Amino acid sequence: MKRVASVVMLLIFVLTAFSVKLTFWTAPNPYQEEFWKIMVTQWNKQRPDVQIEVQTIPAAGSSEEAILTALAAGNAPDFCENIFSGFGAQLADIGAIYAFDNFGTDFTKLVQTRKMASIIEKWEVSGKHYVFPIYSNPMLFWWRGDILKQLGYNNPPRTYSEIYDLSKKFADGKKKFTMQVISGRNWWDRWYDFITYYYAATGGKTYIDTAKRKVTFGDATGLKIANFIYTMFQNKYTAVELGTNPFYTGSILGKITGPWEVNQAKDTFPKVVPNIWISTPPVPDDYPKDKPVYTIADSKGLVIFSTCKDKKAAFEFISWVFSNAQNDALWIEKTQMPPAREDLTTNSVFAKYMEDKFFKAYSSNVPYAVPPALITNTIDVNQAMSTHFVEPLMYLKGKPEDILNKAVKEINKVLF
Amino acid sequence: MSKRSQFGRKERVFGYSVIIPYIAYTAIFWGYPFVWMLILAFTKWNFFSKPSFVWLDNFLKMFTDSVFLQIILNTLNFLAYLIPMILISSLLFALALKRVKFGRTFIMLSFLIANVSSGVAYSLLFSNLFAVNGPVNRIFDALFGVTIPWFSDPQLAIFSICLIITWKFLGYYGLILYAGLQQIPQSLYEAAELDGANGNVLFWKITLPLLNPSLVTVTVLAIMLTFGIFTEPYLITGGGPMQRTTTFMIYMYDTAFKRIDPSYATTIAVVTALLSYGLVMLIRKVFEREVSFV
Repeated sequence: MKRVASVVMLLIFVLTAFSVKLTFWTAPNPYQEEFWKIMVTQWNKQRPDVQIEVQTIPAAGSSEEAILTALAAGNAPDFCENIFSGFGAQLADIGAIYAFDNFGTDFTKLVQTRKMASIIEKWEVSGKHYVFPIYSNPMLFWWRGDILKQLGYNNPPRTYSEIYDLSKKFADGKKKFTMQVISGRNWWDRWYDFITYYYAATGGKTYIDTAKRKVTFGDATGLKIANFIYTMFQNKYTAVELGTNPFYTGSILGKITGPWEVNQAKDTFPKVVPNIWISTPPVPDDYPKDKPVYTIADSKGLVIFSTCKDKKAAFEFISWVFSNAQNDALWIEKTQMPPAREDLTTNSVFAKYMEDKFFKAYSSNVPYAVPPALITNTIDVNQAMSTHFVEPLMYLKGKPEDILNKAVKEINKVLF
Repeated sequence: MSKRSQFGRKERVFGYSVIIPYIAYTAIFWGYPFVWMLILAFTKWNFFSKPSFVWLDNFLKMFTDSVFLQIILNTLNFLAYLIPMILISSLLFALALKRVKFGRTFIMLSFLIANVSSGVAYSLLFSNLFAVNGPVNRIFDALFGVTIPWFSDPQLAIFSICLIITWKFLGYYGLILYAGLQQIPQSLYEAAELDGANGNVLFWKITLPLLNPSLVTVTVLAIMLTFGIFTEPYLITGGGPMQRTTTFMIYMYDTAFKRIDPSYATTIAVVTALLSYGLVMLIRKVFEREVSFV
């Protein structure tokens, strides 16, 4: 008996001493970190031969910056999450990441087990899958139901005109503004303002023809959105700067956000959360009432870097996590974000989460959530959209039509 | 007789042991990056592939790059605010310091604290301080019923960033000017006063001309500082609004690490260095005077 125990101990020692040690970077979000720490602890206990160390993506302007800086410095992790499809395409373009297709039938089996066959199609780059989608967040609008009720509303505004009417009742142009129309100054903020409005107004039509590498939003719908943004700023129904936490302080009535904010809001502003109304993004006045409103999908996935010490071991871990629906249930519990699965509304494992108004709203909009256009120069395009389109509208630098036409020309230059 | 034989073996070993660390240091931390910089400026590289030779493509690209041209204008705009702000405030600080009788060291150190503060920390602090609903605007709103778009108006954003940079460097540059003031012999003032010169004349005819070396030093340092602005606009305005606070440094960083184009970023760095060197030489040629106290 003693001899067997000694052999087992020796085996464990040898396995640990010669085990593969992989570094895994997770999103700088405490709820996601918590999920991954649980997963990795369980895995490390089961597999002493493949030990994984979880690290948060280092602090930087964005996760993309941190990853690129690490790649340039040769400090990249073995695999990493929090990668959006466009960034995945950029990394694939420079040969920094490894295609999941290389794992052959094991990968196909994982896709089938996780019920994500049609979701993963949208993540294809040059006929290969470099990013394994984890979650898909439809971006939705939150409204201050308590204040709207006081103003005589039973539902949040749906169209641009309804927002103008609400603004006349609420906005004073100094301390009270109707909504956050523009999400911010960062390049990724364009996904959550103009591109979202465009998806909503067109039934999910793409804003860039990726095959022709040309802008498609220079149309009548693009002009309607340009006029909406311009009108909101011109009449001071919104402002360039809205201060800290304007939604929770009641300075604004509505803003766009993703499910990642739910837990944070519940922790920080528990009194406001029960009064939140959720809606799809606003649409032009002539948008049919019975047609579904599309929005942008804030989707993120996982990649294995080309420099990974043991790609097969990394894939084994990924496969172990995502083959079990219970792990996706734990993901929902921790992060409130809908996993990138097609059976969320039908699988009994997720039934209890549908009772939560936030999760129900977000997961039921997953079918109408469209990811950003899959181009390799997303940052430049979004930056040009800020400089030549959104900012001139915010600062009222010309007529909306002229601004739109100039922006189309400038962004086409970037695309070409 | 050969030169080598002038020194014994021991002396030669000693000599080499003294210079080798310096040569090695220079080769690793200066020579290698310099050669790599030259390679990058004339090639196309994306961190992973082998650099491919593109001749002058990176340099020619700049002429059609509207962002680069915008940054040149932005830098001139920054200089137009920063140079007078820094020169006037540091001069006033130095003149005031000269009049202080007690606690001079304490005052000097107090102002130098800003200079050693973390750029990230104070940028976040100022960002909140000057936010639309921040304390500064709340005071303005209470007193005058108006709020100031410190960082959201293109021109005001440049001014606000210059204000922060001036706050940071006031103590340091003030100290340089103070040292310059200390060098001016008291006898010159006394002689001028005997000739009936008033305070105004003393300042314009003695202090300012004799402070020329220190003023030029501060101007040169401020120019180099302007070409290197990064932390404040990067954290506070993100280079906006309307790309008006985008600086050479921000563009280099974004080009290298967001656009994955380190070659073009290096080329921008080379040209930026040449531009700042050119401007420094111009300023020295126009304003620098030889000063003698004898």
